[in-house]
Amino acid sequence: MRTLVFIPAWNEEASIDGVIADVRAHIPDADILVIDDGSADSTTERARAAGVLVATMPFNQGLGAALQTGYLWGLREGYDCCAHLDADGQHPAAEVARLLAEVRADRADLVIGSRYAKQAEPLPGVEMEGEDYKATWTRTIGINVFRFFLTLATRQRFTDTTSGMRAANRRVMRLFSENYSPDFAEIESLQLAVREGLRVEEVPVRMLERTGGTSFLTPLRSAFFIFKGLVVILVGQFKPRHAEAER
Amino acid sequence: MRAALAPLAVQADRVSLTSQTRIIAAALAILFMLLILELIRRDRLQERYSVIWFGAGLAMLAGAAFPGLLRFIADLMGVRDTNVALFSIVLLLLLGLALNFSVIMSRQAAQITRLAQERAIERAKEQAAREALEGRLNGKGEGEDADTPERGRST
Repeated sequence: MRTLVFIPAWNEEASIDGVIADVRAHIPDADILVIDDGSADSTTERARAAGVLVATMPFNQGLGAALQTGYLWGLREGYDCCAHLDADGQHPAAEVARLLAEVRADRADLVIGSRYAKQAEPLPGVEMEGEDYKATWTRTIGINVFRFFLTLATRQRFTDTTSGMRAANRRVMRLFSENYSPDFAEIESLQLAVREGLRVEEVPVRMLERTGGTSFLTPLRSAFFIFKGLVVILVGQFKPRHAEAER
Repeated sequence: MRAALAPLAVQADRVSLTSQTRIIAAALAILFMLLILELIRRDRLQERYSVIWFGAGLAMLAGAAFPGLLRFIADLMGVRDTNVALFSIVLLLLLGLALNFSVIMSRQAAQITRLAQERAIERAKEQAAREALEGRLNGKGEGEDADTPERGRST
């Protein structure tokens, strides 16, 4: 099975090397594509020096557009399955490998790595350094609001709606390469996938505390973010269905 | 009191645009259309987006030439005050226009995004082709892929 792991990166020169090395160590059979979303720093150069292909956007277009580029690449280059993870080092590649295993075993079309799903047992052999991920209170409110409304809209239980660690097969690549909202990619894509009749599954994963940088969320921004998300979910319920995923 | 005001109301009803305001309005309408024409001539405005503005200019001109038209429309709307009719029509038109622009903007934003994605993909392909070529020049085997994990693993 040809596997693609793509990493959307925006000004991540400090962490991109480490993430690439981590992916190589834990998913050795996968091709890696870094999507540089118009970084002002040397993300592209660092990634190229690390020996991976880099798709550099001519200007910053947002996470959704970057992710869609990855799905588009996967589809056109004929990969059987793909996965993506954040470039800031929060997502351990060992966990991504577990998501990919679900897709390869054809137990699901789209697998989401969830920070908040209950873990049945400690993961064997997964030893990671660094602080475990902890959510701030504004984030906690947002998480719960989205969780509630997305569960309501899809009638499927989701715990981590904004997770950027996912694995998918070709049916999902086909759908997402044509329909992927640039504004609220994470949430809308989940809703879309469920509406199109794809099998979406959550797998509990460990994520790490970010090593550098700060979250962009202030309380006011969070409120706006939540409002926007609700509008997106509501509107998404009335969108026409596509046939791409059926084939 | 009510009876005393009644004639006044009737009189107010008949109040129409003075010839002075009509001339000013007509002049403004013509100036406006000239401006649109000039913008098209200088390639600052595309023809397809100018139709609506010529329509607006012509409507302004029509309103100035035939004040009875406004009265007629106000009556159709069931509005006694022609000013209210005028303002609501203009407001609705502007609202529609703004929405129209949002639709156009969304479409163009989607096109720009896809263009950026295609360019990014091209760049990755260029890199793959270049590295495959360099690999051959450096005496590596033909079958060696551009992104084999072993290569350049200096980190």
